[in-house]
Amino acid sequence: MFNFSKLLKVTAAVLAMTPCVSSCSDDDGPKINVEATGDGIFVVNSGNFGYGNASLSYYNPETKMVTNNVFQTANGQKLGDVAQSMKIHNGKGWVVVNNSHVIFAIDPVTYKELGRITDFTSPRNIHFVSDTKAYVTQLWDNRIVVINPSKYEVTGYITVPDMTMENGSTEQMVQIGKYVYCNCWSYNNRIIKIDTTNDKIVGELKVGIQPACLVADKNNKLWTLCDGGYEGSPYGYEAPSLYQIDPEKLTVMRRLEMTKGTSVSSLLTNSQRDELYWCGGDVWRMNISDTTLPATSFIAADNRWFNAMSIDPVRGDVYVADALDFTQTGVVYRYNKSGAKVDEFRVGIIPAGFCWK
Amino acid sequence: MCKRLISSVLICAALSGVAQINTLDEFVVTSRRPLKDIGLTKTVLGSAALKDNIASSLADVLAFNSPIFVKNSGRATLSTVAFRGTGPGHTQVTWNGMRINNPMMGMTDFSTIPSYFVDAASLLHGAGSVTETGGGLGGLVRLGTIPDAAPGFNAQYIQGIGSFCTFDEFLRLTYADDHWVSSTRAVYSSSPNEFSYINHDKKENIYDDNHNIIGQYHPKEKNRSGSFKDFQLLQEVYYNTGHGDRIGLNAWYINSNRELPVTTTDYGNQNAFDNRQREQTVRAVASWGHFRNTWRTSTKAGYMYTHMAYDYKRETAPGIWAHMTHSRSRINTAYVQADGEYNPTEKWYFTANASVHRQWVHSVDRTVTTTDGDKAGVGYDRSRTEVSASASAKWQPTPRFGLSAVLREDIYGGKYSPIIPALFVDGILCQRYNIVARASISRNYRFPTLNDLYFLPGGNPDLKNESGFTYDAGLSGIIARAGTYSLDAGVTWFDSYIDNWIIWLPTTKGFFSPRNIKKVHSYGIEGKVNLGLKPAKDWFINVHGTYSWTPSVNSGKAMSAADMSIGKQLPYVPRHSATLTGRLSWRTWSFMYQWCYYSKRYTMSSNEDAPGGSLPTYFISNASLGKTISLRPLDLQLKLNVNNLFDRDYQTVLSHPMPGINLEFFVGITPHW
Repeated sequence: MFNFSKLLKVTAAVLAMTPCVSSCSDDDGPKINVEATGDGIFVVNSGNFGYGNASLSYYNPETKMVTNNVFQTANGQKLGDVAQSMKIHNGKGWVVVNNSHVIFAIDPVTYKELGRITDFTSPRNIHFVSDTKAYVTQLWDNRIVVINPSKYEVTGYITVPDMTMENGSTEQMVQIGKYVYCNCWSYNNRIIKIDTTNDKIVGELKVGIQPACLVADKNNKLWTLCDGGYEGSPYGYEAPSLYQIDPEKLTVMRRLEMTKGTSVSSLLTNSQRDELYWCGGDVWRMNISDTTLPATSFIAADNRWFNAMSIDPVRGDVYVADALDFTQTGVVYRYNKSGAKVDEFRVGIIPAGFCWK
Repeated sequence: MCKRLISSVLICAALSGVAQINTLDEFVVTSRRPLKDIGLTKTVLGSAALKDNIASSLADVLAFNSPIFVKNSGRATLSTVAFRGTGPGHTQVTWNGMRINNPMMGMTDFSTIPSYFVDAASLLHGAGSVTETGGGLGGLVRLGTIPDAAPGFNAQYIQGIGSFCTFDEFLRLTYADDHWVSSTRAVYSSSPNEFSYINHDKKENIYDDNHNIIGQYHPKEKNRSGSFKDFQLLQEVYYNTGHGDRIGLNAWYINSNRELPVTTTDYGNQNAFDNRQREQTVRAVASWGHFRNTWRTSTKAGYMYTHMAYDYKRETAPGIWAHMTHSRSRINTAYVQADGEYNPTEKWYFTANASVHRQWVHSVDRTVTTTDGDKAGVGYDRSRTEVSASASAKWQPTPRFGLSAVLREDIYGGKYSPIIPALFVDGILCQRYNIVARASISRNYRFPTLNDLYFLPGGNPDLKNESGFTYDAGLSGIIARAGTYSLDAGVTWFDSYIDNWIIWLPTTKGFFSPRNIKKVHSYGIEGKVNLGLKPAKDWFINVHGTYSWTPSVNSGKAMSAADMSIGKQLPYVPRHSATLTGRLSWRTWSFMYQWCYYSKRYTMSSNEDAPGGSLPTYFISNASLGKTISLRPLDLQLKLNVNNLFDRDYQTVLSHPMPGINLEFFVGITPHW
């Protein structure tokens, strides 16, 4: 015979138990004191767009020890969504977090937050003109933001002519004397010249399609690496090219064309600024006086996909990042100047940038 | 001899919205399974499940009543599903026979389907999807309306007022006579959706006069950029000749205006950004059904139009907004379908089906200034004809045993899939408890979507088809006593393999591009149980539960020695999930308690337990209490829904908050003419 009162009791007991399991909640835990030892390298892990899982790693080349997720560990809060780049200036580390619209200032030893600047559209890179002035480039905005880092505030904008918000893209910055040069990358083909005394754009140079990187060599000549766009792009599609530029005259000194379709990124110089390195499948290296592109690569990719690179300013070691499938922690490989592997270590999701302490 | 009807037992208190609180469906237990369903693993979402909360979307219904995992970031946000451990594009969705998966992205946003517009819904697991269409490597969700209404003119209006200034309005007008049925349904939902939550991902700083941080705390924030205004209208007209022919017209209009919620790690000034998606969709299907004793034909023709607008704007000066993204897509789909069924004897059943979808897509993601100074759109303009045809034979030589075979061929854009075969078998093991064993096996293929092939930048025209192989086997049974109780339960083991899984990966040029890389093995167990009780006069109880164990493992080749994703569970696919719903009704009162559970979901392909590497297990409970008051000129229905009853702090998508406890009160009016 069916016992209705028993059923009610059982049902009530089940319902009463449910809140016990339901109310258990997880927290991100307390802040933990950690410290960066030695003159190491920060790895900026961008994380996945829209998931807020960017992170910061720190690697000590002496001890070969890596500490991951140092920002969240030290501060008890997430770094944000799509960390883009980092610079150290005046004893502070400045981490640009693109889709969180924020730049955090941190203590590079304790990783603790010292302050933050907000009100960006889509910040990419920061360049310090002085202790009281820095420029921040942006994507999807035709303005470079001028900030006062000492007061953590936005002080103005430099509007790039002939650029709309929709195809706005200013990227890396290099300073030679009182001028800052900046490559306009996404659906653009220009290098612009900014007078830092009045924050005005005083010149520009058209180069190849989508100049992705910009560096200066020991002779204070600029080098830019144009990725050439992509097949079907209404902006055009061409072979990637390496340009050498005279920054004073704003003229192209040399153009070295690569194989069409090659994905290129991460143009760098060594600490003496007499060699160029870049990723183009493999890692490539050439002397700035070479008139042709190298025939053989410096480091073979071997089924890896290098998407970021840095060079140790002291030892000359080359660090290259492989984001693997972009949904797992990436790997950084360390090579010496001869191209021999010294170490490898795991960092966060999509290692996309480096910063030496 | 065919024992068509063994018993009729009262099972489901069909709490149809707030309108039919005490209406009971009769659950019919038959020893002879429908020939049409031989060997199928099928989950029927009953009217009670569809109407538990009238404001629910199909995403909510699936989350609380099926083993499917639904990934979204709150109400009126993109809601995608993982069916048997597969991806969102591996679940095909049909509405009155017409495929409604977005041809650009391949998936369906279940948040745009109000349960109020669905009269019949069922899930065809794994191989079962082949009976309806190709490409459903995980399965198929079949949605439909029923051409039925009470005689004469009837109306129902329901108003819902809920937390976070949420308003829902529902109107249904029907007319029916011997030949004609007309049904008009309208839904309007709006909310700023600014629920509060403690943001554990951020800290607010407290500064001294020298801008030194002297304190920090997790702020209490409001969900930002989550507002929505959705209007939907469904008009149906049917004419039944009374001599075996029925002509129907269904037209569904969607006008949706939704903000896209920001992450918990966003520091932007909310008032300075507008991140919004607007959609206008029309789906229309005209049908002609011709029914005879032993055969039936059905012809359908349809048209679908979708205009999607995505705008991301920034206020650069007071009142001046500049577009950062100005994306527009237009999709036109024309569709024809013919079905034939022939049932020459009780032992044989033949079907044939052919459908043609013609897709035209015009998509512009952004406008750029070319090197010549001209304006040009970044996007694509493509069309594709998609043909799918199948034939099946079903044979039930004895009432205890059935066999079914399906052959299907898909042709997309002139490319032929290999023949898609599916085989189904079932048999009654024990007649007394109606214990049925069933099994199925099939191959299946899914063509790349139009975005996969042509999206600029990144589209890859060299992609191969994804290919799947799946088999399952299960048992189900029923015990019942007429008018007192019924208990039915089922369990299914499944095993599926997908090769050439298409995945979008970033490139060094700053955009994503799809590639065939993954090989996935998913397997597991699906169980369900349904209990119906009539313990005393005027009392009805229904308890329905599901459980699913779904390892879904990357079994492909490692990208390099450092790749740790091989052998690991796919991101955002829970290994365990369960749902439980209890419904109790007494005279004009009804009570419902609903619970769902999802185990930990990894967010990384490597399944690392790093911070943010997984989202914790959660249990969510909803409850409702309803009452119908019958007055002479009208019936008044009152219902209070409580969602997230225990105020659980949880996320289904990393860094996207979900609302805590929230209420919605509904008042329904059904006039008596």
